[in-house]
Amino acid sequence: MDHPTDQTRFAEVFLPHLVDAYRLARWLAGSGADAEDIVQEASLRAFKSIRSFAGGNARSWVLTIVRNTSYTWLAKNRPRAVVLTEDLDQPTRERVDLAGEEVPTPEAALIAKMEAEEVRRAVASLPPPFREVLVLREIHDLDYRTIAEIIQAPIGTVMSRLARARKLALNAFQGSAS
Amino acid sequence: MSLSEQDELLLNAYLDGELGPIDAVSFEQRLAADPVLANEVEARRALRASLRAGLAEDVPSAGLERRIMARLGVPMEVRTRSWRSLAASLAIGALLGGAMTFGVLNEQGRGDVAGEVVSAHVRALMAPQPTDVQSSDRHTVKPWFAGKLAFAPKVVDLSAQGFQLVGARIDVIGLDPVASLVYSNGKHLISVMEMPNAGTPTAPLETHFERGYLALSWSEGAVTYWAVSDMAAGELRTFVSLFQAGAEL
Repeated sequence: MDHPTDQTRFAEVFLPHLVDAYRLARWLAGSGADAEDIVQEASLRAFKSIRSFAGGNARSWVLTIVRNTSYTWLAKNRPRAVVLTEDLDQPTRERVDLAGEEVPTPEAALIAKMEAEEVRRAVASLPPPFREVLVLREIHDLDYRTIAEIIQAPIGTVMSRLARARKLALNAFQGSAS
Repeated sequence: MSLSEQDELLLNAYLDGELGPIDAVSFEQRLAADPVLANEVEARRALRASLRAGLAEDVPSAGLERRIMARLGVPMEVRTRSWRSLAASLAIGALLGGAMTFGVLNEQGRGDVAGEVVSAHVRALMAPQPTDVQSSDRHTVKPWFAGKLAFAPKVVDLSAQGFQLVGARIDVIGLDPVASLVYSNGKHLISVMEMPNAGTPTAPLETHFERGYLALSWSEGAVTYWAVSDMAAGELRTFVSLFQAGAEL
């Protein structure tokens, strides 16, 4: 039996998750062309460390690399687009913090009528730490534990960011609907 | 009216299926009694639905995988081998399934069928001809299926809308023969597969991605349809709505 080469292993571990990888980068970077750049760079990183992948969940391994690559890529190429995560990690910002925010939630029927472009804009308007949990949950359909692994944060942080992200997205909808 | 922070977290965890069964039941009881809370849940469900509906646009260009493989020196045959082993495992699954019918396949969810449908489309592209009968005339294509299938597939003429009928073939999905129509649009080929289903009579459009191909599925009456192509998601969806609306004149 022949030993699998790094190339074979890469093809088995990384390539099946290419669309997932692209989608995460697409939502974090905001453009398809940038996302392809990021995924290409992430594929290089993944290839270099393919031997350190010990098995287990290939999808979350790939998404972790893509996420980290997205932020380094954005910091280098789109420095203005990156909101400092440290600012948002302050406990005061982490709270769901709804006091004083008497924003009516738009009706479900109204949201259903939103154009794809409006939805995209609402999500794009979220700060990256909120956008990424929303995308990993709703687009990639991951559970809290896996999201926590990918963003390297406690589950409590995932929960509060997700709650906040949905609230912000709904408020953005409300704004564009009125 | 705003929710308390605790309720907000509870509501999200409920929506994400992260509550234990006991907590979920007691939350559902509150939900039934509290229209404000129910409204908040509905809004978040709608948000989820519109996010998922918008995601079909997000597929990488066909060149991305090729560029990555070229850069890392992954030979093409490595990729086709892993692709083949996938196809082989599907074939084994079908054999083990034995008397598996479409009804069963439908109950298992269309995700399982997606791989086979895309694989049939890819196989057809690799063959010298993607069709067994070649004709742009639906009055030639439709009768060709007679005697080959136990049902008469829907064949529509969409040439006026830019989708030329190329011909048809028979594919085998699960263990059953299905009708496959081939349409062309520019350089893209679309396979439309039609199979009788014993399960859900009507089902809305579902999107699947397999190996860079986009597959859309829906059901009308007792027939499940699949449209597979490498064209852009928006264009394929346009094709599907034309096909759905198309009448067999």
